[in-house]
Order: sequence, then C-alpha cells, then structure tokens
Amino acid sequence: MSIDITGLNKTFGDFVALDDVNVSLPTGQLTALLGPSGGGKSTLLRIIAGLDTADSGTVSIEGVDATKLPPQKRNVGFVFQHYAVFKHMTVAKNVAFGLEIRKRPKEEIAARVDELLKLVHLSQFSHRLPSQLSGGQRQRMALARALAVEPTVLLLDEPFGALDAKVRKELREWLRRLHDEVAVTTVFVTHDQEEALEVADEIVVINEGRVEQVGSPDELYDQPANDFVMSFLGEVTTLGGASLRPHDIEVATAPHSAGAVEGSISRMLRIGFEVRLTVLTVDGDEVAVVLTRTHARSLGLTEGATVWLTPANGATVIPSMRASLAG
Amino acid sequence: MVDVSTPTKWALRILALGYIFFLVAWPVALVVRETFSDGLTTLTDALSDDQVTGALQLTLMIAVWAVVINLVFGVSISLLLVRYEFPGKRVLSALIDLPLSVSPVVVGLALLLVYNGRSGWFGPGIESTGYRVIFDSPGMIMATCFVALPLIIREVVPVLHEIGDDQEQAARSLGANAPQTFWRITLPSIKWAVVYGVVLSLARSLGEFGAVKIVSGNITGRTQTATLVVEAKYQNFQQSEAYATSFLLIFVSIACLIVVAFLRPKNEA
Repeated sequence: MSIDITGLNKTFGDFVALDDVNVSLPTGQLTALLGPSGGGKSTLLRIIAGLDTADSGTVSIEGVDATKLPPQKRNVGFVFQHYAVFKHMTVAKNVAFGLEIRKRPKEEIAARVDELLKLVHLSQFSHRLPSQLSGGQRQRMALARALAVEPTVLLLDEPFGALDAKVRKELREWLRRLHDEVAVTTVFVTHDQEEALEVADEIVVINEGRVEQVGSPDELYDQPANDFVMSFLGEVTTLGGASLRPHDIEVATAPHSAGAVEGSISRMLRIGFEVRLTVLTVDGDEVAVVLTRTHARSLGLTEGATVWLTPANGATVIPSMRASLAG
Repeated sequence: MVDVSTPTKWALRILALGYIFFLVAWPVALVVRETFSDGLTTLTDALSDDQVTGALQLTLMIAVWAVVINLVFGVSISLLLVRYEFPGKRVLSALIDLPLSVSPVVVGLALLLVYNGRSGWFGPGIESTGYRVIFDSPGMIMATCFVALPLIIREVVPVLHEIGDDQEQAARSLGANAPQTFWRITLPSIKWAVVYGVVLSLARSLGEFGAVKIVSGNITGRTQTATLVVEAKYQNFQQSEAYATSFLLIFVSIACLIVVAFLRPKNEA
C-alpha cells in the first residue's frame, strides 16, 4: 500500500473534521476521495501532504512514517483547486521550480521542463506568464509543476472545481489518460460523484469525517454499504419500502406481474432524451421514475395515466428507512 | 459609472484642483521660487555652508538606517500579523498604528524618559558601556524608526492578505524550505508594496522634525538634521538658506515618487 492512514483525528475548534479515519490507498492507482462539502476529504488530503497536521493518528507514505515530516520532505505533488500558480514566474519557471530547489543541473531541468510541457500540451506557452493562460491551462501547468519533482504520490484537491463544465469534462478525461501514461499513485478530492465514477480506479466515500465505504466504482454503485453511499452516488427513490434508482423501475400500462405497485402519473418532465415521471401510488407514496424518451413514447405515457411499477431485474435494491435519505 | 451633469463635473474639478493648488502646489512652488530668485547662488551658498551639508549628511544617514531597520522589522511583523495566529495579535496590530496618531513630540519625550543618560530606565546602563543614545544618532534613528514604523507594514499587510498562502504552500509541497519560500515566492509577490513602503518611509524619515528635535538636543553641527537646520536658519533670519534646504528636501521626495512611478510595471495595480 502506498499511503496508510491509521486512527487519524482532526478538529477545528468544535468542528470534527476527521473522526478516527483508517484507510489504505493502493500504489499506482487513481483514487478518489468523494463526499459532500465540509465532509473532511480536503482536510485528509492536506494532512497527507503535510499542509495540515492531525491531532492524532499516523500517516505513512511508501512505508515511511510521514506523520511528523514537513511538507517539503514528503516528496508529494500537490495540485490546488485555485491553481496556486507562481504569478511572477513564466510557465517554464513555474514547472522548473521544484527542480531548481533540488539544485539539478541546468540542462537536465530544461530537458525535463520541455518534456513535461509537451505532456500537458503547453509547449508553445512556456514563456508566458500564468495570467495570460485560461483556467484549464493554468491547472495543467500546476499539474506539470507537481509532476516535475517525480513525486511518490500526486494529490489533487478538487482540481477541476473552479473550471466550467465543458473544460472540466475534458480535463477529467485527460487526467485519466495522463495517469495511464505516468502511473504515479494519485489521490484526488471531489464532491462530484460522476467525476469520481468516471475517472477513479478506487473510491473512498467520506462523510462527516468518517470513511463510509471503500471500493471500485462498480462495487460502490452496485453494492452500496448504506443509504448514504447509495444516495450520494446517484438519485434514489423508494418503491414498496425499498430504495432503488429511478431508472431501475419498469413501467407497465397494465398489471402484468404480481406485486406491481399501482399509481398515476402526476407529473411528466422531458429533458433531452430523458423523461422523468412522478408517480403517485395508491398507497400515497411519490415515486420518481426515469426512462428514455423513446420508451415513454412507445408506452404512450401521459400525465394522469395509470401505470404499474416494478423493480427492474438486476436492480440494486436496499431496504430503506426514509428519514435517512435526506443527503 | 453614474452620469454626472456637466456643471457638477466642472464644480468637482475646480474644487479638487483649487484645494490641491492652495494647500500643496502654490506653497511648494513659492519655496522653489524663493530658492531660485537669485539664480543658483542661494543653492550654491547653502551647499557650501558646513552646517547645511553636515545636516544633510546626517539626515541621509539617519533616514537610511531607519528605513533599513523598518524594512526588516516591517516585513517580519507583516508576515507575523497575516500568516500566524497568536494571542495579543489585535493588540500588536493596534500598537503599530500608534505612531500615526501620537504626536512625534510625544514620541521624542517618551524616548527621552526611557533612554536619557541620567534618570532614564536604560539610559545610565547603556551610557556606562560608553554608548550614548539620547543627544546622539542612535536616539535619532530610534525616533525616526518609531514615526515611520507603520508605513511599510500598512503597505505590505493588505497585499499579503490578497495573495493568500496558496503559492507558499505550493512552494513547500515542491520541496522549498521556509527561507527559500520567502525569497523565491513571498518577496517577489510583495515586491511593489515593499518598494512603496520604503519610499514612503524614506520620505517620512527625511522630513521628521518633532521627535528628532527632542532626542537630538538640536546641537548645531553635531545632531542637527536638515529639518532642524531649516528651522534654525529661518529663526536666524537666514531665510534664503532655509528655503534652499527646504527645496532640497522637496526635491528628494519628488524624485522618490518619480522613480517609483517609472519603475512600477504598467499592468500591476
């Protein structure tokens, strides 16, 4: 294991940021720390980097106890949400910073900077100042800067959080490809479940300072450990006392199967290819259902129509307590 | 921008220009005119007077020392105030503004009480080692430091707040230790604030009068700075030399401001 965290606690005044966190992050993989804002995931990342210190507990990186090491001795690369570019230095100087601190020979630095700028597609901008770059370019520069020192682990704190939706999606795919090329142990923090599911090899779900579940995206999505994980990874609705995803509900216009729940469509909303139904069941529950436009049209669904709902075959269904689904 | 009617615009311009003209431009221009009313003779006379040249050298020496000391302490205190939390921080911050509100004469008296050679708290102790504070340059440097203390700090603190500590943290994570982070990241980021603070401090230190008058003892030819010479000459009915010395003080101040205006890059606010 590349990073081992045991018994980590951290409080800010009365606020408990981390509550006895134990987790091991595997070598060479891309791990996401996923959770709602204020859940403690950024604090955990900053403690791994040495930018914050824990109240108790230990952090070891590649088998070395790093709990007491200052950040500059941990050999981690850190990428900040707001880039933290060195404003007074050119792009090339920014990337070279870590190497110059390490007093590498000039030619070696120049060659390495060249190589890294190629990797992040910024070669033609090497003499510009960061203020002349777009947000996405600045973040790629920050990544190259962090990679320059050949870190043992690369830590990214909501790296795409300040970017607009389109650039965010591009960079996300690009990060995945970059990781496959460079293969450095990478941990990134996000509150966007789609980002985590798409990019990560492994996801650590963190909420209210505790680890809720650790697993691959598929494991988390198919076998959520609890209601929180289930509801955080995607939309959840209840049908006949069980929690399931709105797209895992089959809609029929006649009572074909036993156990189907009868209801009437109270609202129908179309968004692009998707149709969202709100079905009021005879028991008085509101059930959310999602199906494709084509499917809805083939069934001839309209507002006020009577339908019968059943969980789809192979759907993830967990018995629910409604009160805990608020998150 | 809000649209202002043409008469209001003109009224505001005339008000601002009139205020600056009667308060600053005209009086300063008169000093310059008096200096050059006989061509360059007044100036050359003044510059060949040992009392004036000695005072100018002393003023420069004291101002440079005071600026260097305030530079080191000012930047350190600014970092302390912005980057660290500690008990008493608000008190410290308030104390730093004190020199702006207290009259320099009071500052002079206070230093006299603490460091005078006969009854001061530290004075006799220091003088027994053969070193004089009051009525000598150390006291004058201290008085000048005191009055110019807030100038660098008040320039640097807002800039430190504005840049935040993201860049410093990034530098640390890239392997830089504290001194490397300061010299390579923090200092270049606050460079212009420091330059401004230094120029303001220099101008303030050159022009200090009240505090220095008290602690120096105003001994002609030994502890008399340029501003004290201006007063002494004026009271001795040697107005032209007073004007010439005043002109030199104004000249240095304006030169400082011009140098900064040229040095400062256009795109930086």
